[in-house]
Amino acid sequence: MLPRRLVLMFGAATLAATTAPITARAQSAADAASFVKATGGQLVQTVNGSGSTEQKAQEMAKIIDTRVDVNGIARFCLGRFWQVATPDQQKQYLDLFHRVLVRSIDSKIGEYKGVSFAVGRTVNREEGQLVSTIITRPGQAPSDVDWLIKQVDGSPKIIDVIAEGTSLRLTQRSDYSSFIVHNNESVQALLDALKKQVSS
Amino acid sequence: MRTTQRFWLVPAILGLACILAGCATPPPASDPAALAEFHQANDPLEPTNRVLYKVNTALDDYVLRPAAIAYRDVLPQAVRTAIHNQLNNLATPVKLGNDMAEGEPRLAGNTFMRFVINTTVGGLGFFDPASHWGYPDHDTDFGITLAVWGLPEGPFLFLPLLGPSNPRDATGRLVDIAADPLGRFGTGAIVTGLNWGHFAVNVVDARSRVLGDIASIKKTALDPYATFRSLYRQHRDAQIGDVRNFNEHTIPAWYPQPQAPATPR
Repeated sequence: MLPRRLVLMFGAATLAATTAPITARAQSAADAASFVKATGGQLVQTVNGSGSTEQKAQEMAKIIDTRVDVNGIARFCLGRFWQVATPDQQKQYLDLFHRVLVRSIDSKIGEYKGVSFAVGRTVNREEGQLVSTIITRPGQAPSDVDWLIKQVDGSPKIIDVIAEGTSLRLTQRSDYSSFIVHNNESVQALLDALKKQVSS
Repeated sequence: MRTTQRFWLVPAILGLACILAGCATPPPASDPAALAEFHQANDPLEPTNRVLYKVNTALDDYVLRPAAIAYRDVLPQAVRTAIHNQLNNLATPVKLGNDMAEGEPRLAGNTFMRFVINTTVGGLGFFDPASHWGYPDHDTDFGITLAVWGLPEGPFLFLPLLGPSNPRDATGRLVDIAADPLGRFGTGAIVTGLNWGHFAVNVVDARSRVLGDIASIKKTALDPYATFRSLYRQHRDAQIGDVRNFNEHTIPAWYPQPQAPATPR
């Protein structure tokens, strides 16, 4: 029979070994949830605020730049064509992607007047933490929106938004890659199309 | 003997369908990234699907969308919501059958209670008090049931009138229509007319609810077809996942609620 102390020590050691990563993960899950809560609060405040449309757009751009991993998402959306693009095309693309994103969010600010949200549970995913929220708009059925949060350069960033089960970056990637494939696999064609979008 | 003959038929028919339909040529094996993308899109019939997408877009531009816009503009929101509730309530028998076939007694219970409450208190289904009393609505159809049973989706299809689909979901749709008890009461011109009317209102109601979404996708997507394909497949996966992973206790709103949240999804 093993001495009781040894058994206890062994038990304590295994317990510590197994719970340490769990608590670390629980901690980052809690961090992700509070990050989403804070970011969502900023967004709601901006959308429902009394400022002019231009002021709101400016505040929105600030939130996007600090809270969203725009470059990471952009790279993801270009998929296998990121490698194909020249360094200059990559630079142009990142800039265009940023402008398209800001533009499309700005155009929706009006639609979201009176919006509110509630943070639900957080699940660990391979790429980060998935925080689920329920977004309510006046006169519309509440919708499920999940936020994928990842540590980028030491601070949490949004790397994907999943609305009613559809991932924003995945959908965007199939759009871009299909467009490139149907335009002779030319990344330049995509850049031209994006330029048209931001200038229209 | 006959079975072997039939086995011959399957590839023959598929081959013929491929010739008639026009299959997409997969990228060469020397380009693994492109090949992976091709398989991920799951759309070997893309050339045909794109033609049907164009046909559908034309039909939508000239018939369906104007009808949906007229419907939205003529009737106030409250009336449209009541009509939608009514259509939803008429669809509950089929939903209940699917919930049971999926082996989801709690969802089946929700559907049953929704039907009882909304048909009575909800004024023959025009209102939806059940949602506020702890019996929320959920998505289900025979395509989802088949998926829960383990049937794969098959290649992506863009069908005339029905839009994005696949062999599994298209079969599911036919079964749902065939199984609908609503289509079985009585015969004669009036009943047929009512059934078609029900179908038409269903289509217009469904279209009118996505007017803004579809318009914004068509405006912002560089390749709307690919975007709709991706959205459809992701959305179906999410719906199937919701049914598969459903293990929450549904507790009516009027019943004492437990302190801790129920089993995580």
